[in-house]
Amino acid sequence: MAWITKPSATMKVPKRAEPYLGAELKDRLTREILPRYEHKQGALIPVLHAVQHVWGWLPWQALEEVASFLELTPAQVWDTASFYEEFWLQPKGAHVIAVCRSVACEICDHKQITDACRAKLGIEPGETTDDGKFTLVELECLGLCEGAPACLVDERMHLSATPESITRAIDDLRDKPGHGHAAPH
Amino acid sequence: MAAWSPKTTTPVLTARIPCWPHGDPKNRRIVSYDEYVRTGGYVALRKAVETMTPEQVTEEVKKSVLRGRGGAGFPTGVKWTFLPKPDANGDGGQRYLAINADESEPATFKDRLLCDFDPHLVLEGIALCCYACRIQTAYFYIRGEYHHQAAVMERAIQEAYQNGVFGKQGLLRGTRTKNRDQAWAVDCYVHRGAGAYICGEETALLESIEGKRGWPRNKPPFPAIKGLFGRPTIINNVETLAHLPFIIAQGAEAFMKQGTESSIQGAPPSYGTKLMGVSGHVNRPGVFECDLGIPLRTLIESKDYCGGMRRGKKFKGAIAGGISMGVLGPDQMDAEMDFDIGRKYNVLGLGTACPTVFDEDTDMVAVARNIARFFKHESCGQCTPCREGSGWLYQLMVKIEEGRARSKDLDLALEIATSMGTMPGTTICGLADGNNWAIRTILNKYPDEFQARVRRTFVPVGISVGAGAR
Ligand SMILES: Cc1cc2nc3c(=O)[nH]c(=O)nc-3n(C[C@H](O)[C@H](O)[C@H](O)COP(=O)(O)O)c2cc1C
Ligand code: SF4
Repeated sequence: MAWITKPSATMKVPKRAEPYLGAELKDRLTREILPRYEHKQGALIPVLHAVQHVWGWLPWQALEEVASFLELTPAQVWDTASFYEEFWLQPKGAHVIAVCRSVACEICDHKQITDACRAKLGIEPGETTDDGKFTLVELECLGLCEGAPACLVDERMHLSATPESITRAIDDLRDKPGHGHAAPH
Repeated sequence: MAAWSPKTTTPVLTARIPCWPHGDPKNRRIVSYDEYVRTGGYVALRKAVETMTPEQVTEEVKKSVLRGRGGAGFPTGVKWTFLPKPDANGDGGQRYLAINADESEPATFKDRLLCDFDPHLVLEGIALCCYACRIQTAYFYIRGEYHHQAAVMERAIQEAYQNGVFGKQGLLRGTRTKNRDQAWAVDCYVHRGAGAYICGEETALLESIEGKRGWPRNKPPFPAIKGLFGRPTIINNVETLAHLPFIIAQGAEAFMKQGTESSIQGAPPSYGTKLMGVSGHVNRPGVFECDLGIPLRTLIESKDYCGGMRRGKKFKGAIAGGISMGVLGPDQMDAEMDFDIGRKYNVLGLGTACPTVFDEDTDMVAVARNIARFFKHESCGQCTPCREGSGWLYQLMVKIEEGRARSKDLDLALEIATSMGTMPGTTICGLADGNNWAIRTILNKYPDEFQARVRRTFVPVGISVGAGAR
């Protein structure tokens, strides 16, 4: 996770006219988040979370906009964004199925959960279905060990999963809108 | 051996959260501000602010020998005294509290319980710590995957602001404090992480709050002197802070009646109760609040707790408390779960006291491979022994698991595991040490399983031994 190289020399950045960091969002962040930190860089991770919450991922243009909003260099923003696994630097599916693969879940047979997702969605961990509806990932310990094997389905805890229960959860989500991070609490 | 019986029969941390054997987890709900106050909440904070000076609060915590629940077991009161002394007016300048709710250590899920259901207990602990250490701003650093828990904490903090616990007017609606004729004001914010285990390390956590990648810092300077934004900073675990209301309300003596003395002469005691999250091959996995010192066997076999091994299988081993601590072997089921466990049972320490239990059918080679992959994945990459060693160990474990390894690969694995991160000071943080202990204890406690998976390396007489020998 720590090292993701960036092909700087050949990189073409798609740009669009409409900003990702709109005036309204900027306004809210300026009011609610910036005053919490002693300098602007402190607000970087909450700001990235907020932008990702709206768009589902962090396009390069959004990172540049965040940089100028927080008076940082794009490199500083990239440095942080690329370090953390939860920031998506590529688009992801509308729904994310995250299966825990750490030790407590592995010994409780997490593999059959991943396999059920594989079979159901026809993709490998790390991939997104062609229709853009689902992304499957395997993550390290989610801290849900009493319910091993456990998953996070669109930010919701899914404990003591079985192949049937996870298949059902996928079916339930198929026609629901959302971009993975849309689930309000 | 006489049967172990608990000293503490009324739960402290889980007084409002049903846990076996005191209540059925099915009945858990989020405790609101009103309910928290109705059941004796914020009494300790009032007592502290109105009748005690910050020094007296620190003194009480020091006396209780409360040890950090985040993994290292460092005495909390002592840590607080490392802060620079405030000036004659009691002004220590801007300082911070960072609450460690990163909880990414595999097999650990105890802090989640507190954030999930009794957020105000944690907030009262935070307020007490801020009062004792003259801290104005607290950041609640919660791991990114805890979406729901972050929302619960956020809402509870809002409630606390609305009810005057936090905010500009000062703690408890601006109650005048004992020693100074003015109120002490605290701000508290949630800061969500974004999926990096290393951010649980205290200085990486600070970097993360500053908006940088989670790279642990070289120490010294220690955070108490120069921490977040270059200011004096205290970092404490959620569960550590959740103990404070009891200690202040009931006094250090009451706390010292719980838990256990050390059985090693001269070693510090393990007072208090501890949340123990048991997972793996047991009948009833979950979080239990137990006195420190409870034998692992009791925790697993007692009907009050886990209710025995799943499907009546035999015990093969257990992770001592988060995988960084290493593994307890088949003959160490009677280990007492207290802060001495490291010295007595050849593991790194108690860690987070969250054991994962393995039954007789568990493939320890697969366990070692899983753990090696975790550390390889989570190493931040700053220090060579950790970055390279964790990758090599993973490769070796995969090779052994797939049956492609020779016995010299085992020797190599043990050599890497034993040398990486050995203190003092070949790496910046303790992650390498955790990797070392986890893999080394498995290799040493289950040698037969590994031997059975490797082909022997024959060294023909007269031919040199080295990298080329096949
Ligand atoms: C690699 C690494 C990961 C850690 N992860 C956590 C964690 O997730 N939660 C935690 O409370 N402490 C964690 N710690 C321990 C902290 O560095 C620190 O000791 C602790 O938060 C101090 O709080 P305490 O004194 O209240 O225990 C970790 C340490 C290391 C070296
Ligand atoms: S020991 Fe490992 S995780 Fe810790 S700072 Fe060094 S490289 Fe990073």
